[in-house]
Amino acid sequence: MSRFISKMSRRAIVQALIALPALSLFRVRTAPADPDEIDPDEIVEINGWILRRSDLA
Amino acid sequence: MIFDSYEAYNQAGFKPKVCILGSGPAGTTIARKLGAAGIPVVVLEAGSREFSDDSQDFYRGKTVGDFYFDLDITRLRFMGGSSNHWAGWCRVLDKQDFEPKAWAPDTGWPISRADIEPYLGEVHDILELPAFRPDIPVSDDIRWVQLIKSPAVRFGEKFADELDKSRNIAVVLNTYATELTGDGKRVTGAKLWSNGQDAGTFSADYFVTCTGGLENSRLLLWSNERSNGGVVPNAAALGRYWMEHPTFQGGNAIVANYSEFEVDASNEVFFSPTLAAMERLQIMNFGIRLIESPYPNVKKLIADLACTAPNMAEWMSSQLDQRLRCAAQLYVAWEQAPLASNRIELSKTDVDHAGVPRIELHWKKSPLERRTLLEGLKLFGATMAQKNLGRVRIDEWISNGGDYPTNEETAGHHHMGGTRMGTDALKSVVDANCKVHGMDNLYVGGSSVFCTSGQCNPTTTITALACRLGEHLGKVIAV
Repeated sequence: MSRFISKMSRRAIVQALIALPALSLFRVRTAPADPDEIDPDEIVEINGWILRRSDLA
Repeated sequence: MIFDSYEAYNQAGFKPKVCILGSGPAGTTIARKLGAAGIPVVVLEAGSREFSDDSQDFYRGKTVGDFYFDLDITRLRFMGGSSNHWAGWCRVLDKQDFEPKAWAPDTGWPISRADIEPYLGEVHDILELPAFRPDIPVSDDIRWVQLIKSPAVRFGEKFADELDKSRNIAVVLNTYATELTGDGKRVTGAKLWSNGQDAGTFSADYFVTCTGGLENSRLLLWSNERSNGGVVPNAAALGRYWMEHPTFQGGNAIVANYSEFEVDASNEVFFSPTLAAMERLQIMNFGIRLIESPYPNVKKLIADLACTAPNMAEWMSSQLDQRLRCAAQLYVAWEQAPLASNRIELSKTDVDHAGVPRIELHWKKSPLERRTLLEGLKLFGATMAQKNLGRVRIDEWISNGGDYPTNEETAGHHHMGGTRMGTDALKSVVDANCKVHGMDNLYVGGSSVFCTSGQCNPTTTITALACRLGEHLGKVIAV
């Protein structure tokens, strides 16, 4: 691996690093939770508050 | 009888069977029990009838580790002891506080709560308490517990007349027992300091040290050092397993209907975990105290909630309009894990006016306690939300693992452990009857015998244990 990197140009390495965040665009994304499946009584912690999920509506 | 000096007492020719050191809740209670049984008893009190800076100076010391109060501020050295600054909160340790906790080493007492329950009637008379109500479950995890705000009995004031009239009890003021002498089986005497000088050696058949949750350890450590182990032959645990009730503001709560929990004029409400919750989360006991917030703070809190949960904030706001009071500050006091490393040592460099080394208190809160604080608040917050009783906000320093603040309550001025009760002489100092292991005539009264601290103020349990020890000693002497 280190031999491979050593053969790459510095320019190529920088371009690869710049491209890294964009890779997530190609990942399979999980579908957002079905609103019917959200438990309104689930306890959540947000900004220090202990709340029911339904409080966030 | 009350004598203002040892010299005056000596002239009276009183012959005591038992010598009690200290006139605080434990010492006074034991003396009254013995006196009522017709047993002559002397109480040696190092201070006088009133507070004095000179007397307090004997209590100066040093703390190593976490921030703690000055040792000459956190206790009082005059007739009645630290009952003179007691706030008056009363509750007996829970049944579960006496049981060992598998997840916390060195917990568990050699007695159960049932062993002190027979004395609670007397305790109620002494502390002027109404009957306790049982805990009320709020959820499977949280109990609404009762701490009674008593009239805060000052033992010196309340019992002065009775003690003065007693023919069996002699209270000797301004008389400091600087050390006990012993031969490894019995205490042979107490060296006294009175009026700024040595006052000779005092002898009695039995000795009971009731000098407080810091001073009992100091006296016995010093006595043991001077007598080459002749006072506490098994001293491995002496001064160790010292405990407090760390107390900090943990957050705020908006309460749907505050008056639902109101029990007395103090407007303070207390909650504790169930044993099942403690077991599940592997945490110590704790008490969450709700103190009603002033109106401007309530508005600020609701504004903060509005950023996260606008509808909930709107509803709370309407509640506020209706009742003008619906928020509280949350204070958490918790049970410390008993650790041998939390200990009282004798200073190697500093002594008091009588030449007795001052205390060096080594005290640190443990990671288990930090977890108890955070998990406890989460548990309480979840119960409040699940039951729709209100909503809780945890302070940032707790959620983010920040340092403990140094500008808050810090602790309860509850000094516990150091001469803890137990069956293993390597991990305890006194047995189930508060008798020092290996000694025939030396007993310890007060919160220094506590094995664990529970979450509540110790005075009620101290007084119950003192009734029990007084009765036991009366039987031993009668044989």
